[in-house]
Amino acid sequence: MSVQDFALAAEVAARRRWGATAALLALVVLLCVLSLGIGPVRLSPLAVIEALFGGGSDVAQVIVREIRLPRTILAFAIGGILGLSGAALQGLLRNPLASPSLFGAPQSAAFGAVLVIALGLADVRSYALPVVAIIAAFGSVFALLAIAGRNAGLLILILAGLAISSFAGAATALVMNLSSNPFVVLEIAFWLLGSLEDRSFQHVALALPFIIVGGAILLSQASAFRALTLGEEAAQSLGVDVGRLRLYVITGVALGVGGAVAVTGTIGFIGLVAPHLMRPPIGHDPARLLVPSALTGSALLLAADIAVRIIPSTSDIKVGVLTSIIGVPFFLYLIMRERRALGGGVA
Amino acid sequence: MMRRLAALAAAAWMSCGAASAAGPRIVSMNVCSDQLVLSLADRDQIIGLSRFSRDAWQSWAADKARNYPRLSGEAEDVLLLKPDLVVVSLFDKRATRDLLKAKGLHLVEFTVPRTLDEVKDQIRAMGDVLQHPDRAEAEIARLDAAVARARDLADVHHYRVLPLERRGFVPGDSSLISSLLAATGLSNAASELGVGAGGFASLEAIVKLRPDFILVSEAGDRAEDDGRAFLLHPALERFYPEGKRIVLPERLTVCGGVMLADALDRLTEELKRVTR
Repeated sequence: MSVQDFALAAEVAARRRWGATAALLALVVLLCVLSLGIGPVRLSPLAVIEALFGGGSDVAQVIVREIRLPRTILAFAIGGILGLSGAALQGLLRNPLASPSLFGAPQSAAFGAVLVIALGLADVRSYALPVVAIIAAFGSVFALLAIAGRNAGLLILILAGLAISSFAGAATALVMNLSSNPFVVLEIAFWLLGSLEDRSFQHVALALPFIIVGGAILLSQASAFRALTLGEEAAQSLGVDVGRLRLYVITGVALGVGGAVAVTGTIGFIGLVAPHLMRPPIGHDPARLLVPSALTGSALLLAADIAVRIIPSTSDIKVGVLTSIIGVPFFLYLIMRERRALGGGVA
Repeated sequence: MMRRLAALAAAAWMSCGAASAAGPRIVSMNVCSDQLVLSLADRDQIIGLSRFSRDAWQSWAADKARNYPRLSGEAEDVLLLKPDLVVVSLFDKRATRDLLKAKGLHLVEFTVPRTLDEVKDQIRAMGDVLQHPDRAEAEIARLDAAVARARDLADVHHYRVLPLERRGFVPGDSSLISSLLAATGLSNAASELGVGAGGFASLEAIVKLRPDFILVSEAGDRAEDDGRAFLLHPALERFYPEGKRIVLPERLTVCGGVMLADALDRLTEELKRVTR
């Protein structure tokens, strides 16, 4: 291949990347608009737009601006941080099966949030909730990486992640059982299934600062992820402090996932699916994957949250259920694809 | 029906020849029957109350219940107490009830009343069981008087009231709270939501419905969990600030019993407050 050919191929790839990113952005904007337009009360598109900018009846205004807008913002931000966290973890571990939910981070964050509620320590709309959720998420990812060690294979990561998420789930149920709050069963359902229903700007204020900081930390490590593709030693020779990188990633993921879970409960598998959807158009460069993965995560969660509102059902479908129903088969498919690596080359 | 059952149970007990001058010794295994027993029985008739009898959140008579032994909710301690009659709810654990029956204890089973008339039937039935029908009639008269007081105030305006519980649950037409609203002449906005026998209403639908008042069980703005946070959503608080919320504590409405007289008086007071 001549230098010219190479430059041309690079240009084509770059164009494809930008095209894909622009298309994603358009999709996310479209889904945001749809999310504002859909709800149990039917409002015409015109009424929605009018209400959004402060016109129309006060009922329509409240519905659009105080009920649907915070929900849309949260779906966008939380989907984004989950997609970004997945891409970052996959970049850090150079492992396509890495994702927050497989590592038990959301489950652990939910445990933290439930602990605050069960002990009756604070209002559910206070910062105590995200802070404790973040600490729990940090603990789980830290523990996982510590247990799995530096160059952990897929199998060890998955097994350790399974153990941690089962433990967090059991601890959540136990804490709820010991709680004096008499409505434990419904509360467990909320924290384990995840939902964006009836959130308000109080919730946005609760989660968004942590999501933004977590997201910024993860994005700032883009070049380190790229260097890491050459192997840990090569990355080190390029000036990447792998130990510190790990700490940054854990912190970023914990902040983002903890903040998200504190207002929506656990929403799984978006972090796993989003980067995979972006590899065909974007390529395997983990640095370039970050932003498209975040956008894909946003699009996935917005779409799932729209779907739970339009699927006819007698009681509300929880959005976390939908993401898992789509995510788990996808995960199984990935395992099948990675069978050789998992089975040590025997399969 | 209820009353006949109660009379049968009382007869069964008396035929055993255990009758004493003071009336039967009773164990209550349900927080609702606890409150009936506490208001109708003699002090020495009560030898045990349910596990939740002292829970001030559920029981209107929690303070009074502190003077009596509390049961575990299992069969063991009931068997040990050897009561003449055991009052249970059909919602209590089946296995425990069957075991007690198998051991030869006399059980009086109460259902959960859905209407004011059923409540009065139960008060009467419990009066018969405890052999204090006069007290039961007095409580029923007190209930009727409270209904009349509430009606005097509410009947004039036909306010639309939406009873709203945690997470947006709206009790249906057949609930006790609907019966209370109907008895006072208030209009229950739940029927406009199409929740039928009770169900969850979305925040949007409630905001669109715009009833005159919402009826909740708690005042204040602390959300100890997510279900409670629903009732404090800014969209709901905008249309229903404190001055538009009728507050009826759960302990007054969760059971159908003599406390409904207090519930109705509270409802009358709250109506005066929110319409001022």
